[in-house]
Amino acid sequence: MRAPAIRAIGLLTGWGAGAAALPSDAARAAGERAVLTLERPALDAERFRRSRRECLLGVAAVGAMLEDAGAGREAVEGARTALLFVTAAAYGASNREFIEARGGSVYFPYTAPAALTAEVAIEFGLTGPYEILIGGAPETMRAVLRAAALMESGACDRALVLTVDVFEECADLFERGRGGLARPLVEAAGCLWLEPGEGTLSLSHERGRKRDAEAARERFGEMLACEPIAALAIARERGAREPVSVHGAWRGATARLAWSQSPYPGRGSAQNAERRSA
Amino acid sequence: MTERIAVAAAGVVTPIGQDLDTFWAALLTGTDGISAIERFPVGDLRVGRGGEIKKLTRPVDWRRVPDCRATRLLVSAADDLCAQAGGRPDVDPERLAVVVGTALGGVEEGERALKGGSARRLRGALYDAPAHRLARWLGARGPAITVATACASGATALGIGSEMLRRGEADAVVAGGYDVLCRFVMRGFDGLRSLTRERVRPFDRRRSGLLLGEAAGLLLLRREREAGPARLGTLLGYGSASDAAHIAAPDPHGRGIERAMLMALAEAGVAPGEIDFVSAHGTATPLNDPIEAAALRRVLGPSGGAVPVNSIKGALGHTMGAAAALEAIVCLLAGCRGQVPATHGLEERDPACDLDCVQGVARSVRPRVSLSTSLGFGGCNAALVIGSA
Repeated sequence: MRAPAIRAIGLLTGWGAGAAALPSDAARAAGERAVLTLERPALDAERFRRSRRECLLGVAAVGAMLEDAGAGREAVEGARTALLFVTAAAYGASNREFIEARGGSVYFPYTAPAALTAEVAIEFGLTGPYEILIGGAPETMRAVLRAAALMESGACDRALVLTVDVFEECADLFERGRGGLARPLVEAAGCLWLEPGEGTLSLSHERGRKRDAEAARERFGEMLACEPIAALAIARERGAREPVSVHGAWRGATARLAWSQSPYPGRGSAQNAERRSA
Repeated sequence: MTERIAVAAAGVVTPIGQDLDTFWAALLTGTDGISAIERFPVGDLRVGRGGEIKKLTRPVDWRRVPDCRATRLLVSAADDLCAQAGGRPDVDPERLAVVVGTALGGVEEGERALKGGSARRLRGALYDAPAHRLARWLGARGPAITVATACASGATALGIGSEMLRRGEADAVVAGGYDVLCRFVMRGFDGLRSLTRERVRPFDRRRSGLLLGEAAGLLLLRREREAGPARLGTLLGYGSASDAAHIAAPDPHGRGIERAMLMALAEAGVAPGEIDFVSAHGTATPLNDPIEAAALRRVLGPSGGAVPVNSIKGALGHTMGAAAALEAIVCLLAGCRGQVPATHGLEERDPACDLDCVQGVARSVRPRVSLSTSLGFGGCNAALVIGSA
């Protein structure tokens, strides 16, 4: 499949904004902290009066991506932009609150994963193809593949792959149900702006957790679906001019997403550089 | 036009039938699957009725299946699918994938876990847990994917499953959708005042809301050239689009579902005038039906008023993540068996829903190409174009 280029990346994590904030050893950097949280973004209080923190983090991640691109909302608005959202458990907080009926404060539609994408779509006027995948890092990689397929088929001109995972409201449940999660738990929201690129893209799966996937978790902490975006942000920060691949594990399987050449316009092939200058 | 994907077999579990033939016969004869909910307390809710499956009757060895209703609905539908297909999919397990859609995932496990359930039950609350358990039951070792585009989830799953086959990522895909009736979702819809105390009446002048149902519907997808002669039909096209209008209500102009239909038709290489039947979302809410009807008329063009349309939600309730998969199955069976079921509950057609809704009794029609539409919370819209065998 024709690979997508990564035009911009928005990344907000419990470590801070962008790739530069990510540590080289999560456990050491976290010290005693079990969960690194992200604050509720300070967005329009009236417009988002019913909205939840995880939804606002999605909006903020797209905002950070636009800032990274030096572009405004109009650059992605409309039916030619696909929105693909991935989360392992961002819905957990609203589901728990609704089940426990704490103050009866959750407006029921916000318990759906689609509420987060709806807020993002409304805020940025995204009316193109629309998919939501549930799972960890491998599902984010699949979303990139889906984005590439949608662009290749002509269904859209660009695609946003958005991920959000939060832990704070369910930290005790993650502790109780811990099934192979790394420490610390790091809240994160990320967004990739993908456009048609050069070279090819491939996604492969293997059973079991592989060393390459573990290395990312040891470095960043447990970010679930956001982990590949952090890895891609790090690769770009390093100035990767070569093929890039990311690994991620979830539910006993490891996935590897590989670009045959650099996905970062201006950092890879001459054609990419030309396109960027054009 | 992209490569066609064959539907080699299908399986269902619904309030009106726990195998394909019973389900179809019940739709044709107008069986009502709505009843008083018995499985959990509803005494404090305005409405305590829905399409509840009273007892799972498939001869599955349930000792091998986790005590999770969502998983059990999926396994029940998969067992029917395997019976229809003459056994489990005959491909390398590494090349067998599962793609299922859901609006609620394992949320009922979350309800139970929060009352003190085990860590295992807690992990089962993640929305992707039932899909992985289905994959284990099937012996599938390829990707196990969960999509959650609310009530359009089943269609999204079929679209993604088809794409995986076209890209050569798998040789067979079990795709579809499911959802359970549980207190979580009943409380939610009851609080929104979306549930009717009357009959569910899609496209009817007196419609007053929906009722929820539980079900699972699964389809066995193969590349057409590898599917063999026995098949139910083909998935020709899939499209999706966002409303970007409201968290819970559809875009009043129906632009999202219109774009999804146009995208599906384009992928299928089918002209609007070639559509012979529409299995509509038709929730029977005051908002949905006229918006959907108007969008259908715009897409189908001048001949749109003569295309038979039905909704199955009057018979079994809105089965959320399962709905689009079941409606795709209705399109396939209509093509195979030459009949379109009537819209259960429709008696006085709403002039604001200017469609040829099949009413009263099943109509003898053998659609060659059908369209299925789905709209969900969050402005999720999806459409499928389905060809007859």
